[in-house]
Amino acid sequence: MGPLIVNEIISQNTNYLLAFVIGIGFGFVLEASGFSSSRKLAGMFYGYDTVVLKVFFTAAITASLGLLFFSLFGWIDLSLIYINPTYLWSAITGGVIMGAGFIMGGFCPGTSFCGAAIGKIDAMIFIAGLFIGVLIFTEGYPLFEKMYMAEFLGAPKVSDSLGLKDGVFAFLLVLAALGMFWAGEWAEKKFPREEY
Amino acid sequence: MKSRVILAAFIIPLGLIIAAVPAYKTLSTSVSPEEILNEVRSGIQIITTDEVAEMIIAKDPSLLLIDIRSPEEFEKFNLPGALNIPIDNILSDEWIDIFDQNIKMNVLYGNGTTKSNEAWMILRQLGFENNYVLQGGLNYWAETIMNPKPPSNINPDDEIAKYDFRKGAGQALGGGSISVNQGNESTTKKAVIKRKKKKKRVAGGC
Repeated sequence: MGPLIVNEIISQNTNYLLAFVIGIGFGFVLEASGFSSSRKLAGMFYGYDTVVLKVFFTAAITASLGLLFFSLFGWIDLSLIYINPTYLWSAITGGVIMGAGFIMGGFCPGTSFCGAAIGKIDAMIFIAGLFIGVLIFTEGYPLFEKMYMAEFLGAPKVSDSLGLKDGVFAFLLVLAALGMFWAGEWAEKKFPREEY
Repeated sequence: MKSRVILAAFIIPLGLIIAAVPAYKTLSTSVSPEEILNEVRSGIQIITTDEVAEMIIAKDPSLLLIDIRSPEEFEKFNLPGALNIPIDNILSDEWIDIFDQNIKMNVLYGNGTTKSNEAWMILRQLGFENNYVLQGGLNYWAETIMNPKPPSNINPDDEIAKYDFRKGAGQALGGGSISVNQGNESTTKKAVIKRKKKKKRVAGGC
């Protein structure tokens, strides 16, 4: 049955409409979780607030269990799901740059738009910085190209590289997430911060 | 605190269930029965003995012959380069990567076609592609490739050409013996055989 767009159950236009609604939902959840506060996001790094970890890992385990159950019920064809291909070096470099920007700016790209939407000036400046980064990357692309395309691994799944069944991996992910939630709450008690 | 307990109570059992489900059930979903019926009726899974013979002789790297008979039968006779996966084992995790891929062209064969069609249908229901069934199985292989009957003179030219091909192929593939002649003889024979345009899917001819 699913994915709806690939199997032509919905049209491209309906797809955009759904994406619009889901996008608003995403922004709503980010804002409702307090992600438009840069202090909250930076708190993840310093350990006084781990709501970022909780929200994103809850999303990850919900989505992975959801997809596997949908597949089990025959509601979705997992082979048609797009998996972002892995270029090892650009993934590592990108992760480091993104992480550094996250701590320094207090936003990730999604939350910066969220913050800008409720009128936060630091978020708007963050977005400006984001576009400067885009400009540097695109203009300097010939310089980065070699590293950008290096170590292409296809679109591997962690479960495949570990030789685990998808379901077993999802279960381990659930346990890991719950463990991290527990550790996160412990950290919040250990490094409390009043004024943020 | 409490919300985490609720979350754990809800999500750990779900995780356990999905971990206990057999791997193939959460793979790409099955093809609908209507689609399979259509495919079976149009015979899209059948690949002719001539086509397979050509691919073997041309050492086509995309061909993977899969013998679904028992190991004993496989020992007695098999097609060159064939892999023995008895039909009882087709669902084991060991072979799933062979059946579920989109690079090679798997051709299943047994003595006839009943078992290979059964195996094909199971694999198809799992959503696997690139699996085919050898037309008529080994019996038909022996009849058409190993011991082709000469057509009578009134047959059209392409019948005679087909016979010539089969005769050449039969000799190149060892004419019914177990071992395959990989020596000079087969390379000289190769020159005789005209390579038809390779098709990915071949419907059964009559």
